[in-house]
Amino acid sequence: MSDYAVEIANVGKRFMRNSERRNSIKERIVRGQSKRAEEFWAVKDVSLNIPKGSVYGLIGHNGSGKSTLLKMIGGIYRPTEGSISSQGRIASLIELGAGFHPEMTGRENIGLNGSILGLPRKEIAEVTDEIIDFSGLREFIDDPVKHYSSGMYVRLGFAVAVHMKPDVLLVDEVLAVGDEEFQRKCFDHLYSLRKAGKTIIVVSHGLGQLEALCDEVAWLERGTLQEIGEPTDVVASYLKRVNADESARSPLAEARREDLDHEGGLQSALRLTSVKLMNAEGIALNHAETGITFTFKIGMTLSDTVLGPNVRVALQHESGPLITMIGNHRLGFDFSYLPAGDHTVEIDLIDNPLLPGRYRVHVDVFDHTGAKLLDSWNEAAEFPVRSGSGEIGQGFVQLPAEYRLS
Amino acid sequence: MLRELKKQHALIWAFANRDFATRYRSSVLGWAWSLVQPLATLVIFAAVFSIVFRVQAPVMGNGKTSYAAFLFTGMVTWNLFSGLITLSITQLKSNGELLKKVQFPAYAPVLGASIVQLIQVVLEIVVLLGMFLVLGNVGFTWLVAIPILIGTAFFAQGIGLMLSIMNARFGDVMYIVGVLLGAMYFLTPVLYPMSLVETHSSALAWIVKLNPMSWYVQAMHDAMYTLTAVSLLEVAALLIGGLLVFWAGFVIFNRYSEDIGEML
Repeated sequence: MSDYAVEIANVGKRFMRNSERRNSIKERIVRGQSKRAEEFWAVKDVSLNIPKGSVYGLIGHNGSGKSTLLKMIGGIYRPTEGSISSQGRIASLIELGAGFHPEMTGRENIGLNGSILGLPRKEIAEVTDEIIDFSGLREFIDDPVKHYSSGMYVRLGFAVAVHMKPDVLLVDEVLAVGDEEFQRKCFDHLYSLRKAGKTIIVVSHGLGQLEALCDEVAWLERGTLQEIGEPTDVVASYLKRVNADESARSPLAEARREDLDHEGGLQSALRLTSVKLMNAEGIALNHAETGITFTFKIGMTLSDTVLGPNVRVALQHESGPLITMIGNHRLGFDFSYLPAGDHTVEIDLIDNPLLPGRYRVHVDVFDHTGAKLLDSWNEAAEFPVRSGSGEIGQGFVQLPAEYRLS
Repeated sequence: MLRELKKQHALIWAFANRDFATRYRSSVLGWAWSLVQPLATLVIFAAVFSIVFRVQAPVMGNGKTSYAAFLFTGMVTWNLFSGLITLSITQLKSNGELLKKVQFPAYAPVLGASIVQLIQVVLEIVVLLGMFLVLGNVGFTWLVAIPILIGTAFFAQGIGLMLSIMNARFGDVMYIVGVLLGAMYFLTPVLYPMSLVETHSSALAWIVKLNPMSWYVQAMHDAMYTLTAVSLLEVAALLIGGLLVFWAGFVIFNRYSEDIGEML
């Protein structure tokens, strides 16, 4: 007996593109067998050894081959090349409640689903009560499932699947179901399965969840393996790639104002002209990352000398709340006399404490007394903050804090 | 094959239970409906063919004739055959969502559905027996009907398995089969006795005789209607032939159903 629950050796899966599939006889006859099949390798040359009793995560973009790999482990697809060997009963949470018949009651469906998942009838009878309790649907268990809400449906499906005493449990993007309470129950149950020495293979986009749950993570991209290792490491390099891709794709977080006249008859010698985000190396950004210092670069043009202005940047979360207001007067920085001409103010947000989300930037400038508004620019720019670790966090900011045991 | 079927009997039963429980759940008359259709067809056909076309039924075992009884004997056998095939053919598609997501033997829903279909066949047979009892046409040859019907069921199921896997690949199969079954019905001596074709066209008689369903239907006519003994050899051939077709269908089905998850 090997120490691995699932051994995947040089596995590849080829699909034929739709143009090749002759789904009707007419097409077969009219077009014949196509000479060159249009191939598409959903998974290519993947080798993984999944240790018994581990929680193994698969990450990657949509279409990276994660689900195809999971289906091959589950025996729904046969690998085109390579081999997969597994030990024990495999149950899959790939699609919850896939086998439910709407006309049958919850209880009847438990029996049917159990049989389909391969549990002997006697054992099904033994766990039926447990399943009903776990799903929390005792009240409705003798109603046809067509009257269930989608949440109830999924809860019953989850309850059935995890009670099939699988040795290997395949979980595909189903952890985000049900209400908060049920989700916790699911996680608790997954933990207890792990404690019981079961192997769990999880596909998820919830990177934070995966980091917390998994012993090892593999990252797939376009069907090939990119990295295997500690969850934190693999998630970090995956996110680095994702963030880099996004930087390459989406527009920079910057804004420019051409109109030099003030709104509302404001009389002042100062006009804000541009806002942009920059990293420590001076490269323009389209997003910021939690925990990484970045810089607001604010451009202004002065038609006359201005004495000691207070340049303030307000950050507002997309959901409404004002997060903070940064101003040089409060921080004790004095511009003293700013001569006429173009100037750029740089404000470093050290170890960016903003948690992932979208933030709006408002900029305004007051004179040295703080009484006279020189210029204001509402919603000058908007930028997203991304996580570098997969941790999303709660709230808007992470305040600098240290723990000590005393 | 037997070991495999034995191993999976619980799953096949689970599907049978599902189909049984849901078949007529939302209709008031329930299973009565499964008899309405064949009986209505019987009445209409009996009227049309005996009154309009003046088809003469052969003489029954008790010396009388009854076209309706003759027709219904053939119909029960034919319905067994065509019912199993028509039902089997769509099973993989209708269980597609499941087959795409969970790995389990794909023949289970097909065979499960067929088991439920057999209940309807039994109901029809009960009506047929009642009919013969009323007509006073009873004989020991009835016993022979049992292996013949079993042979018919296996024969039909073997073909049904093959066609269902073909239909999963090519969705047109079910339509083609629908047409073919319609044609085959008329090339089977259900509506008419074999003697009638022989007197009219020897070429047509040849075709009818080559149709395997004619063998099963005629054997049923002998055993149930005319109450003549069917040779043991013939009964054995019909039974074993049916089992062989089932075995072939099962093997072919399993060979091509390995990739069912992708095919659907």
